[in-house]
Parts: sequence; C-alpha cells; structure tokens
Amino acid sequence: MIIVAGMALTGCNTSLLNTTPNDRYVSTNFWSSTAAATAALTGAYQELKTAGLYGGIATPLWEETASPNAYDYDNTDSWNTIAEGLQSAATGKIIPSRWGACYGGIGRVNTFLENVDRVPDMDEDLKARMKGEAHFLRALYYFNLENYWGDVPLITEQPDPQTQDSLPRAPRSEVVDLILKDLDTAEAILPLSYSAGDIGRATKGATLALRAKVLLFEASPLLNPSNDKNKWKAAADAANAVITLAPSAGYGLYPDYRSLFLPENENNKEVIFDVQFIYPQEGNSFDLIDRQYNTNAPLLGLAEAYEMKATGLPITNSASGYDENNPYKGRDPRLYATIVYPGDTYMGSVVDTKRFAITGYGLEKYSVYTEAVASEDVADLKEGQSYTNYIVLRYADVLLMYAEAENEYAGPDLSVYKAVNAVRERAGMPDLSPALSQSAMRDAIRHERRVEFAGEGYYYNDIRRWKTAETVMNATIYKWDHTAIETRKFDPKKDYWWPIPQAQLDLNPNLKQNDGY
Amino acid sequence: MKALHMKKGKKGTARWLMLAFLLTGVLAWRADAQQAQISGTVIASQSGIPLPGVTVQLAGTSTGTTTDNEGNFELQASPGGTLVFSFLGYLTKKVKLTQAPHITVKLAEDVKTLNSVVVVGYGTQKKVNLTGAISTLDMTTKANEPITNAANALHGVPGVFVNLGNSQPGVDRGTIRIRGIGTLNNNNPLVLVDGVEYDMNELNPNDIASITVLKDASAAIYGSRAANGVILVTTKKGQGKSKVNYSYYYGIQKPTFLPDAIWDPIAYLNLMNQAAANEGKAPYFTTDEINEYKAGMKTDPLTYPANNWFDIALKNGMIQKHDLSFSGSSDKYQYRLSLGYLNRDGIMFGPGNTEKKYSLGLNSSLQVSKRLRVGLTLDGYYRSYTEPGYTTASFWQYLMRALPVENDTLADGNYGYSYLRVPGRNNWEQPRMIAYEGSYKKYVQRFVASVFANYQLPWDIAYDIKFGVDKYDGELKTFVPQMVKEQAKTGTMYNWNSPSTAPRAANTDYNDLNLHFYNTLTWNHTFAQAHHLNVMAGASYDSYSSGTFMAEMTGYLDGTLTAIDAGTIFEAMSGNDTKDALESYFGRVNYDYKGKYLLEGILRFDGSARFAPGRRWGSYPGLSAGWRIDKEPFFHGGNAISLLKLRASYGRLGNQQVPLFSYLPAFSLGQDYSFGGAGGVLSSGAANLAYSDASITWETTTDYDLGVDLDLLNNKISLTADVYRKRTTGILHEVNLPAQVGNLDGPQENVGAMNNDGFELTAQYRGNISAFDYNVYGNVSYNKNLVTDLKGQTLYSFNTNLSTITKKGLPYEAMYLYQAIGIFQSDEEVANSPKQSGDTKAGWIKYKDVNGDGKIDGDDRVPMKESSVIPKYTYGFGLDLSYKGISLNAFFQGVAGIKEMPGGNYGYPLNNGAGATWEWVTDSWTPDRPNAKLPAIVEANFGSKENYLPSTFWLKNGSYLRLKSIQLSYALPEQWLKTVKIQHVSVFINAENWITFTKYREFDPESTVNVSSLYHYPMLKTVSGGVNVTF
Repeated sequence: MIIVAGMALTGCNTSLLNTTPNDRYVSTNFWSSTAAATAALTGAYQELKTAGLYGGIATPLWEETASPNAYDYDNTDSWNTIAEGLQSAATGKIIPSRWGACYGGIGRVNTFLENVDRVPDMDEDLKARMKGEAHFLRALYYFNLENYWGDVPLITEQPDPQTQDSLPRAPRSEVVDLILKDLDTAEAILPLSYSAGDIGRATKGATLALRAKVLLFEASPLLNPSNDKNKWKAAADAANAVITLAPSAGYGLYPDYRSLFLPENENNKEVIFDVQFIYPQEGNSFDLIDRQYNTNAPLLGLAEAYEMKATGLPITNSASGYDENNPYKGRDPRLYATIVYPGDTYMGSVVDTKRFAITGYGLEKYSVYTEAVASEDVADLKEGQSYTNYIVLRYADVLLMYAEAENEYAGPDLSVYKAVNAVRERAGMPDLSPALSQSAMRDAIRHERRVEFAGEGYYYNDIRRWKTAETVMNATIYKWDHTAIETRKFDPKKDYWWPIPQAQLDLNPNLKQNDGY
Repeated sequence: MKALHMKKGKKGTARWLMLAFLLTGVLAWRADAQQAQISGTVIASQSGIPLPGVTVQLAGTSTGTTTDNEGNFELQASPGGTLVFSFLGYLTKKVKLTQAPHITVKLAEDVKTLNSVVVVGYGTQKKVNLTGAISTLDMTTKANEPITNAANALHGVPGVFVNLGNSQPGVDRGTIRIRGIGTLNNNNPLVLVDGVEYDMNELNPNDIASITVLKDASAAIYGSRAANGVILVTTKKGQGKSKVNYSYYYGIQKPTFLPDAIWDPIAYLNLMNQAAANEGKAPYFTTDEINEYKAGMKTDPLTYPANNWFDIALKNGMIQKHDLSFSGSSDKYQYRLSLGYLNRDGIMFGPGNTEKKYSLGLNSSLQVSKRLRVGLTLDGYYRSYTEPGYTTASFWQYLMRALPVENDTLADGNYGYSYLRVPGRNNWEQPRMIAYEGSYKKYVQRFVASVFANYQLPWDIAYDIKFGVDKYDGELKTFVPQMVKEQAKTGTMYNWNSPSTAPRAANTDYNDLNLHFYNTLTWNHTFAQAHHLNVMAGASYDSYSSGTFMAEMTGYLDGTLTAIDAGTIFEAMSGNDTKDALESYFGRVNYDYKGKYLLEGILRFDGSARFAPGRRWGSYPGLSAGWRIDKEPFFHGGNAISLLKLRASYGRLGNQQVPLFSYLPAFSLGQDYSFGGAGGVLSSGAANLAYSDASITWETTTDYDLGVDLDLLNNKISLTADVYRKRTTGILHEVNLPAQVGNLDGPQENVGAMNNDGFELTAQYRGNISAFDYNVYGNVSYNKNLVTDLKGQTLYSFNTNLSTITKKGLPYEAMYLYQAIGIFQSDEEVANSPKQSGDTKAGWIKYKDVNGDGKIDGDDRVPMKESSVIPKYTYGFGLDLSYKGISLNAFFQGVAGIKEMPGGNYGYPLNNGAGATWEWVTDSWTPDRPNAKLPAIVEANFGSKENYLPSTFWLKNGSYLRLKSIQLSYALPEQWLKTVKIQHVSVFINAENWITFTKYREFDPESTVNVSSLYHYPMLKTVSGGVNVTF
C-alpha cells in the first residue's frame, strides 16, 4: 500500500508542471487595459533616455566632442575616435548603441501601433493622441538613423525576424518620406500642450519643429549639393510654422540663458521637446561629467569664438576691444554661462589651470553648478544622480533654423534679422550690423549657432550638414594656453557618414557598408 | 487504488512502456532447485551489517548464488563441500560445510579494494560489473589536504576538468566540466548528495566518503539533467566499533602569481610621456613636474611616494580547520555525527576577507524490524564570509590599477591621493580605503536533510523511498560609509563617494527551497545460479523555488550605525520569485550471465516546466554491455591477467538549462519614463525585449563509449581506457537578431549541434618491497570539441569578453583574431603595407591582410583552433610512498591545448589610468630598440587602439603543469598509542599549488581561463600542517 501510494503521489498529476511567470506579462495577455497601452507607449519614450540617444551617462554632451568645440580625452563612448576620423565598422560604443537604440524605439512604436486597437474599452480620443505620440517618436528615431547613416532598413511593422532580419537598406529619401508622413499624422492629432502630469509628451509644436529640422538638413549642402532653393523654402516654411504657432502654444525665448538649463526651470516656454529625467530612478550624469570627469572639455577654439559684448565683434577684429592679457573680460555673456575658464569663479572658488586640466576649461551648461558654492546635497552628484532634462528641440533653434533657411532662400531679409537678433538680444548681445550680404549673414548665423548651442551636442551635425567638417575637423586642437593637444583628421569621402556596425553586417549580409569603410 | 494512472497519447504510451519494462523482469520466473538445502547469512565482520550481493560458490562446481538484500542465501549442497564467499571490498573467505543447516559467515573488509563497490544512480554496483564509463574518487586519498570546497578535490579525475577561477575565501568554487563542453548553455553537471540533488560545495569535504562521476550513458538514469554528466557524492557512514576522530590543520597562503608591475614612479611617469609622444599628444607630465617628483621622493615620501601596492595591500593568508566526528555501527544501527570548523583570513589587508564555516553532518539509520530500515541524513553549513564595502571584485580592480605615485595614508592619518593628474583617474581610488571602509557580510545557512526508508518485500523485492529538502537561507548585509580622502600636496579633502548616497546600507535576503522526492522498487534475483537480474523502477518529483528580497537605505547620520532601520531615506528595493518543476519516471535492468556477459538498460521519462505544454516530455534510453573476456574458457591469461573487460555504451541524455519561461513572448516591465516635468513621477513602461519561440524543447546529447579495463599481475597493474563521442543536438541558444528587428534579444532556439570526441587513459601500478609500499598512477584525457551545426549562424563573443567566434566547423568559442606578423620598423613599411588605420606608424603591430583586399579590417580576422574555454588535454599523475608509519604523497595536475588572452589592466599597458608591466619599460619598441618584444607603447584605452586589437600578438599559451599537492605524514607507532588508549595518531605537512610549470607569466594560468581580465582574486598556494587522531 505504501508503495502504491508513493508511486501514485507522482504518478498522475501533470499540473505539477504548470508554473507561470509572476514578474512579467506575456503578449497574449498584455493588451487588455488602457494602463497596459499607456505602459507600452511609455516604453517607446524610454529609448530616448538610453546611452545610444539622449541619455546614458551624458551622450548628448559628449556628442559635442566630435566637433571643434570640445575634446573627450578619455574617448568615452568612442566620440574621440569619431573626432579623429578613425571610426570603423569595428568601433564600439556610440555607433552601435545609437543604431540599436533607434531600432529599439522603432520596434516599440511599431508594436504599439499594431496592437493598441486590441485594447478593449479604451477612450478613443486618448487612443488617437497616443497614436500621434507614437508617430512622432518613430519620426524622431528614423531621423536619427538617416541623419547618421543615410540609407537604412525601413521597418513599419512590429518586430518579426521572419520578415525583417534580412531587409537591406532602403534609400534615404524613402526614410525621409516616412518621417514626414509620420509627422503629418502626428501633427493632425497632437495637442498644443499638456496638463501637469503629461508634460513631456510630444506636442503639435514638437512635430512642427522636428519637421523644420528634418527639412533644414535636407536643404543643407551635405544633402542638397545642387542647392535646390525649394528645399530651403520648405525648411523656412516649416520653421515659420512653429514661429506662427508660438503665441498660441506659448513658445518664446526664456529670458535667462544660463538658467534655461537648470532642473528647476524644466519644460519652460523655450522647450519644445525635451527628454525627461527623474531622480533617483532614471537620472543622467551631466553634473558629474561637467564637474569632475571633464570628458567634454571645451577647447580654446570655442572660448575664442565668443564675440565681445560691447561691440559684437569677434576678438580677431582689432576694433573689438579684446584684451589679450585679460581674455575673458567683456565677452559674450553666453561664454560665462557655458564655460568655466581659468580665473573664473566656480562652485565658490577661483579656478586655476589645473582644475580642468585637460584643456583648462570645463563645461558649466547643463549642470547645476555655477559660481556659487553648491549646496551640500548636490555638491557631489555622482553617476545617475542628475535629472536635468535634455532639450532636443528648443525655440532658439527654431529661430536660427528659420533664419538660415530664409537667408539661403531669399537672402537676409528683415525676418532673418528679426530671428537672429531675438536670440542675440536674449543673450545680451548687440544686434547684427544691418546690410550684411547673404554670405556674411550665413557666416553670422553659423557663428550664432555655434555659440548659442555650444556644449549641447548640436554643432557636430551642423558642421556635417554645412559640409564644413572637412575644414574645421582637419585641424589641431589647443588647450587654454595655446599648447597643442592633437591634430584631428576628417576624410570627406567617408567621415560625413557613420559606418554600419560590424555586428549588423555579420548578422544581416544584405546590409551594404557605407563608402570608404 | 490506481498505481499508475495512464493518460492516452504520447505521455501515456511512455508510461505503458515503463510498466512493460518492469513486468519483463517479473514474468521471468524462477526455477526450483532439488538438492539438500543449506542456508546462511553473510555479515561484515566489523560492523555486523548484513551484506547483500555476496557471491557464494560451491568450490569446484558451477553451483552458486548471491545473498539477498538481508545478506541471506540458500543453496543446494552436500556436507563436506567448501563454500567460497567473495564480495568486492571484502576478503574472500572459504567455509567448509558441516551438518549445520544454517551458517553465519563474517567477511572482513579488504581495505585495498574498498572502492570496488560503486554508487550509481538509485543504487550501487560492483565495479567489476560496471558497463558504463564511471570514475570514482575515494576521498581518503585527499585526507588532510586543505581543500575548502569539494569541487576542488576533483582535479585530476579522468575526464573531468576542474577550473578554479579564484581563491577568494567564501566563493572559491571550481567550475566542473565532464568530457568537454556539450552545450552553449549551462555546462554544469548534475550533483547529487546521497541521491538528492544538492550543491557539493555546501558540504564539508571531510564528510565525503567518495565521489562517483557518471560520464556516459550510465547517466541516462538522470535523464534531462544528465547531459553534462552526473556527480554522485556519498557521505561517510559509521562503520564498526564506535570511535572518535579529530583532525586539525593550519596553513599559510600566498598568491601563486602576480603581474610584474612597475613600482618605480619615475619610470611610470616617463612611460606615460613616452605613450603620449607615440600618440602624437603633448606630454602628460612636464619635465618640471618629473623633477619635482624626483626631488620630493627624497624629502617628502608621503606626498611623493614610491609605493609598491602589492607589498602594501597583500599579506600572508591563514587557513585552519578543525574536524570532529563520532561514528559507529552495529547490526541494528549505523551513525556518524560530525562537526567542522573552517576559518580563513585571506591575503588582502583589511577586515573584508575572512571566511568561517561551521558544518554539521549526521548520517544515521536504524533497523526497525526485520524488513524495515529507516534513516536520516543531514548535511549543512552555517557559514559566513566578508568582503570590503565596495566588494572584493572592486578591491582587485583598484589594486590592479594602483600606481607607484598613489599615496597611502598621510601623516595626519587620512587616506591620501595623488596631486598628479592622470588621464582616466578622475577620482583616485585608494586601495587601503577600499579595503578598510565599509562592510559586506554574507551569511548562509544551507542544509540538505533527507529521510529514507527501505522495506524488504517478499520475492526479493525492495522498496526504497526518499524525501529530501534542500534549504538555502542567505543574508547579505552591506554598508558603505561616506569616504573621504585628502590630496597629498594641498591637504584638500575630497569626497570619494557621494554624500547623497552614502552612508548607505542594504540587506538582501535569499530564500530557496528545493524539494526532492523519489521512490523505487528493486527486484534482485539470480536464476539457475547463472542469470543474475536486477530490475529497478521508480518515479520522482523535484520542485525548485527561489526568491530574493533587497532593501537599501540612505540617510545615516554617520558610519556608526549600520542597521537598515537606522537609515532614514528609502533608496531602493527589489526582489524576485521563481519556480520550476520536474516530474520523472525511470527504470533500469541489469542482467549478467555468470558475471561474464553484462547488460544494462535504462529508460527515463522527464517532464519539465521550462517548456510549453506539449513540448515538456522527453525520453532518455541508455544501453550498455560488458564482456569479461578473462572469464571465457578460451582465454588463457593465467595468473597474469585477473581482469579483462570490454565495455560499450550508448545513451541519450537531455539538458533543459534555458532561462525559465523562455518560450513565452514576454512584456518586461521597468522600461520606465517620467512625465510631468520637475514635479513629475515615474511612469511604468513595458516593452518586449526579446523575441521568443514557443516550440523550443530539450537539448539531446547522444553518448557513445567504448572502454576496456585490465588488471595485471595480481592487480598490481590496472589500466582503463575509454574512447567516446558525445553528440549534442538541438542546443538551445539565443539566436542573435540584427538590431533592425526592434533591437530585440534573439529567441532561444534549438539551433545547435556539437560533438565532443575524446579518450581517457588511466594507469596504476602498485607494489611493495618488503615494508616499503609504493603506488604510481596517472591519467590523461583528451577532448576535441567541434560545433557541427548552428543553422548557418555565427555567434560572436556571447559568453565572455574575449573576441571569440562560434560557428559550424570550429570548436566552441574559438578565438577570432587578427594575425600579427611583426612590428612595423619604418613609416615606409607602413606606407607599403595594406592600410590598417590612420594611426599606424613605425613601432605598431603589423597585421596580415588575410583576404588580400589591401586593407586591414574585421574580415581579416581568423578563427584559432584552440578554445579559450576548455583545454584539449587534462592530465594528472601522482606517487604514493609509504614505509612503516611514514608516507609521502605527491599529485601533479595539468592542462594543455588552451589559449588565453588577458585584456584590461596589465593585460594591456596604461589601460584607462592603470599601470603597466615592467617589460613595457625595457622591451617595447622604440627606434633604438627595433627588436623589442612589444610594440611602441600607447595608452590602451584612449590612445590608438590599433595595437590592442584582438590579435595573435596577445595570445598566450595557457598550458600548465602544477604540483597540486604534496604531503608528508607520519603515523605514530601503535604500540606507543596502546598505552594511552588511542587508536591512531598521524602528523602531516602539506603543500598545495606550490610549483607551477608554465610559459604563461602574467598571472595564474588556471584562474585566467575564460576571462578577459587579470583583476580578480588570485590563485593561492598553501603550506599547511596538522594532526589527525582517532580514539
């Protein structure tokens, strides 16, 4: 009897093997509530914060070091490899991580769009708005792909290896068409703004501003070698649409340039779309990088680019009022808001040349540290402890995009001056001298973009699309005291585009590598 | 009551087969005998325990039988004849028959061949009757060695590769591989302790009697967990007269190898500048700075140190162990109670490097009635170990990047840091601060307790039932204080870690409960005194549950209080909870004809919760046969050959080691994002992170083995040889997807097939010259791994940080490397060679343009034939000498046919602010040193990476031969001891890992297998001595 009982104990109970996961959903039972749909969309936003795009430790701040503005001595995330023109298919860090993050975001958006209609009893307006957000995000992810790699595989359905893992690169123009179509879809649905708890979601203004950026890139010399004026017109119109929308959407220049980048002023009127960070769960390390690691060290060239405040003239102009013996006196106030320099006061003490030993300079922008002594609780922020949002699209950018496109299309008309001068006035700089030629205006706008957005990671793409990288990146970079650090190289035949990562070529032999790699 | 309720369909069929299997044995009915009956009982002379399975033979005839499970026998014989009783492990005894109808025979143990009974799955077998490839380790051969974990005792067992990655107190566990790597998944063998699945490292090695390794189809009895081989650990039992045993040893430990680091600060500063010059950068340190340092070293060594951090941070380690046991047996009971205490203090300075283990073992059984025997075994540890607050791993990482210019404690007692600015060292670590500050304490209570019963049914049938509980309770308590250091020159104080997260304390609770149950019916019978049949059938159920819970707090006033509730701010919380189950039915038939022809059949059905319904059940057959040629009449080996046996086996084994619920398309949480700006809150996000395939099922390993056993010259010489093939198909592996598919991790799929082919040879020669006994033994194992199919896939470096490739036609994880063909001697040579990169210049490593396209890129990598993971050859040999009370035992162990490539700090020079080995100062390329061994120095992390591409230049031969242990012991003469009523006293000294022969110089070759860095706790060598006393 014992035996029989013993055998039977294990003899017939197949339910003994039925275990189900207790810590995750399964796609068959996931799409059952509005909360689940919301979480899936949140997951699609989440990729923005990853190291491949606008988050990680300080990805957008490091992107600056691939430009003449800054230097990453530590080659964190391989940005210095790019700055030196040494990137290859085997280069790790940012190149593969950006490729992956973009497709991760796209996969999440596609999954959301394909499944959200399965959710029962969902509010139709909410569902429509969320779809609009998803389309905006997909446009943003594809913009990042086509901007760095050109032709890329174009996928609009939820991830499925059977149909997608051997797709070749689609022509860049098709990708841009999808971006513009997605932005059209999103624009028609998305609201101008959100109430408190939803701030940070994509708005109608964000779709317009992103379209302006995409079209400006399309019109720029890198992608518009024949200088088709219609492309400039389209870019100017798109930027102007944001300017036109500004009164109703509440956009404008934030009065104080320095505090535009402080966490207490997040989502202010200048912000059109930013990536949201939160402490302690989902932070970045902007403060640590700026204060201590100095892996985005500003270069002498950037410090010298700022004009004199009184005259609005570059320091190379003998009439500018520049004093070689007192180089940091009387300069464009944005210098003081952006850079920490030898002799500056920073965190309550005077900065010597060893404080930021790499170039002599530190970046102040995007950190909470200013001249004042930092309060105890933030004096020593470490990895992941900062939560300042990173601004992807801001109104000053829209104004300068408009000015650039309009100047190229129609020349330096009044609207161009108005846009540029608005940005200069906010900074405390005198207006541009009137009667600039189209080409002088072009130079003025390019200068304005460099100093206005210094440290924010915008400039690398500007010098690419202007096709000036082959000049400004084939140069020696210097420390504060004019000692040379290294000489960079830029090969116009290959370096305007990033290589397809080796692992992707290995996994999908149908992907063709970019020229020169 | 229904015994085996059958379901229709595949599963049902499987169980019907099972029943048929069982009945086959029952239907073969016994034949009746005719002569006058003699009956008897055979017992062990020391313990009085009845001995089952003893061969009873009427001398000069073919009449014979074997004893049943209670040691009883019956046979037909006439008085005057002589019965010969033989049983492996016991001395053969002859008894002349008288008129008495019942005799009791006592057999004395033959100490020399005690091993000859081998524990196999759900039972034991005589070694001579084995048909499978089975290795055994008698732990008495390892007595008194300072073995801290049982896995480390397996070095040198044929077919078994043991690798100890580090020797850190508390976590020094060996990795065990049996006959190579058979899967891309978990390759750990199944370990059972007294029949119950358990972690062998959670046992006091001194409580282990023997370890059996099932290497081929003989493991099929454990079905879906057996593909990596099965290790059966048997704990010690009481035997004979009650006795008390006490042993003690004390030892000193040192690292076997440390890198030859630069500890001269000026040499270091100059080397950095040399690297900067080679990279075309401005010098990191000016001449003034270097001169200042030189002068300062003489006048102010606290500010300008020349610190050898290995000397500062490392000391001799200490190990000591006490073992006490009480044991004994009679025909009614058997008991052994043991207590153990191990105490270690490692080689690091500071308090965070200790281990204490308290063990308790109980093995007892009781004959309740004539038919029923019950018992209890309990084995467990209460153990604890410590690490520094920032963990031992980070201590070694920081120590392996310590520089001679790094300050130790300053005059005022503060932790100092260098005023020098070194790239990559933004926040100077301080090894002393890391070692001394904070705490990390792990407490573990783990035990396996099992109750069992054996009931003798009529008709030679025995029923066994066992229920085992494996309980793991762990607690990890960590505390990290606010750590402050002082700049040596200016006296500026600096926070090393952020006051916003330190002090902080975290507690993690680990709570695992595994339940194991099995029951078997065994029928053991001999027909016509020639056909011996043993049939076993059983069922088992195993359930596994595991959970963790972690909470972390900050907001401590200072570093005084470390309890979780002394903090005020919630920092983090996490936890998990998993369950798994396995349901099994199994059976085995052993048949032999007069011990001459041996046959074994095994069948097992396993159902696993790791797969989708419909994919859960698998069946595992095993078949093996043996032929004792020496017993054939035509064989005329005479006395020279006492055993010649051919063996062959075939079997199918399974492996289920994929992550739980891999078959389900999961939406993972934690993909969070915040909305709402500065006052916003975290919003819960979800995303599909991996593609899944619901059709996945078991991996299958098919084992083939051919073996021969040979004993010569009255067992003086014994030889065993095996050749095998292990073919694994349907290997479960994550299939990599291109990122364009949603950047998803690939699905787990049954994609792979892999062969392991090899041979094993074991030889032993033992003898004596009067009182001088000697024993020489050795073995060598060869294993060749080949991936035979991956469905066209190529896998890169998925398991290690090394540059490896796994694809059809190559061994598993072959190194995948650029081919270095020397060092460029001039810029002209660079210009005339295939383009490498914009950086390349004279002094750089020159790579071969393998595909001849005029440039060096990823397509020029070539797979190496050697695995980075497992050696082709493992071997061991040893020597035991004894003369009267003195004995000397030496054991050597080695591996060959493995390549290693250390990277990171000291693997490459000046890596991210770390130092370099001295040869970079003396033997790196400069125009004046064109024949240097090493290329021109550049910083490994942010200098030109060209020289540090994974290339053959950095590939090292990881072969080694090691004097694993040597022991000299002396047993005091018994006549001295008799007067004080002590049975036995011996004293011994022992050296472990003392000598290593290798070409590998960077670190210990054993501990660098399958890792890409050198910054971990090194291997240790130990010298110890102690005493062993039996009352």
